[in-house]
Amino acid sequence: MNLLSYLLGFATNLVIFALFSLGLNLQFGHTGLINFGHVAFMGVGAYTMVIIVLSGAPLWLAMLVAVITAGAFGLLIGLPVIRLRDDYLAIVTIGFAEIIRMVLNNESWLTRGPQGMFGFPVPFENLGLSPLGHRALFLAWVLLTAGLVFWLVNRLTGSPWGRVLKAIREDETVASSLGKNTVAYKLQALVIGAMIAGLAGVQLALFLRYINPRNFMPLTTFVAWLIMIMGGVGRNWGVVIGSMIYFGLNAATQQFMARGLGPLTGGQVGALRMMLVGLILVLLMLYRPQGILGRKEEMTLES
Amino acid sequence: MEPVLQALANGVIIGAIVALTAVGLSLIYSILDLTNFAHGDTVTVGAYAALAVNIAWGVSPWVGVLVGMLVGAVISVVLEVVLWSKLRRSGADRVTLIVVSIGLALFLRNLIIFIYGTSSVSYQVPVEQALLLGPVMLTPQQIQVTAAAALAALAVHLILQYTTIGKAMRALADNMDLAWVSGVNVDNVILWTWVLGGLLAAGGGALYAFTRPINPNLGWFLLLPMFAAIILGGIGNAYGAMLGGLLIGVTQELSALVIPNHYKLAVGYAVMIAILFLLPRGLLGKEELT
Repeated sequence: MNLLSYLLGFATNLVIFALFSLGLNLQFGHTGLINFGHVAFMGVGAYTMVIIVLSGAPLWLAMLVAVITAGAFGLLIGLPVIRLRDDYLAIVTIGFAEIIRMVLNNESWLTRGPQGMFGFPVPFENLGLSPLGHRALFLAWVLLTAGLVFWLVNRLTGSPWGRVLKAIREDETVASSLGKNTVAYKLQALVIGAMIAGLAGVQLALFLRYINPRNFMPLTTFVAWLIMIMGGVGRNWGVVIGSMIYFGLNAATQQFMARGLGPLTGGQVGALRMMLVGLILVLLMLYRPQGILGRKEEMTLES
Repeated sequence: MEPVLQALANGVIIGAIVALTAVGLSLIYSILDLTNFAHGDTVTVGAYAALAVNIAWGVSPWVGVLVGMLVGAVISVVLEVVLWSKLRRSGADRVTLIVVSIGLALFLRNLIIFIYGTSSVSYQVPVEQALLLGPVMLTPQQIQVTAAAALAALAVHLILQYTTIGKAMRALADNMDLAWVSGVNVDNVILWTWVLGGLLAAGGGALYAFTRPINPNLGWFLLLPMFAAIILGGIGNAYGAMLGGLLIGVTQELSALVIPNHYKLAVGYAVMIAILFLLPRGLLGKEELT
């Protein structure tokens, strides 16, 4: 019973982060945009949904507005910076995410600051289900939305539109010399990726039933990067595999996080875990940049 | 007027520290085409190494600063040998290097958390009375920190202008191929650039710890101002990095007079974006950005 509940929560988290990483994969894996501020779109989605629903609007409307708002923020940050070289894009997006977090932390009149927001309605809570039944139904709902988005993204990336994205990733000059408006394509990829992250944020808020700015630390962005790279950059299925590996690892060390490990405190085990995340990123880039299942051509080391 | 002068003084202090730490970031950026997101964590390592010897051995924090600088240089060189040089030889592109630097940053920061935990720490020094210099209130330590930073900046100037290795650094940052065909020993210069950058970054971190209690996120929060500084100053130019650092520090502190204090960092960021559009080469740089 307890184990089942845990497994349901585990699976829900896994699916939400696979969805979150799917958006990043569209931006970086398919288009080559270095987005180091992906978590900002997740935060915008989550907070927008909660703020709107707490003002009395129906849940479905709040979710819709949240996803659109996340996309609008993608456009907002993308319009000025999309033309920049990749390294500047990395710096600018990371700064953007930090500023969003600053706003979430400090504009208490809107976001309740570090206290966070809770007490908002979540789907299926009025059906009279047991907590376990509710968890199962919620997982089904997250799977359904994520599956739908996955199907859409898969169709998009397999279409001529998706092939233009890859052409831009490989050589933007060539793509534009063929008459493609590369800036418009890059913006579209950024905005769609941001909307997907926004949806992941909505689902995360509904799953946790409580959000605060600490949910949206820069680390979350890098977890998505790790998931994407482990699964194979540019492969949509990769984010599912990557997410499984990451959360598997997470679960394996969770026990020790709470209790400590021998002489180590829980905090130290947590730090070790993050060191491992960093180390895996470095080692993957050194020895297997195409990810565990990826194709080598998707992320070549030849400059 | 007095709040303005006080903010200006505070801005110079923090700006001087950003200036020092940004030199290595800028030179490495331009010589190795490496956007090093782990640079901030070299700053943190320097600060913690300095604190560690000060607290454990009870020696003066200034000895700690020197030890911290040494540790920063050693770590930078070790990473160059075991990591960056390998990646360069395999022909890794800019994006790969950026992702590696992020992984490295996570590793270093959490190594510090593993050893020291997340709570704030400061040097064990007697509390000193703040001095009133005209309208401006400064602690003796703030004055010493600024003097030390100025001294370090002077040293950087002398190294870059009058030593062979310093001239070679400038040449490499300017035009790698030209320097190479002119017989500059590129690998050697790269190594010394890491040494210089590591010394300054770690030293800057150790100096920063005089001004307020620090935590393992110190370098992370300095990283954006550092990037802003080198973009403002012009990437690849050590003088530009120092000038940019000073300007960013002063701008951030002055901005706190008119907007809420906690949005200081956002101001540095806004300056950076504005420079990217209005003056993409920065104040003293020559490199194209797009």
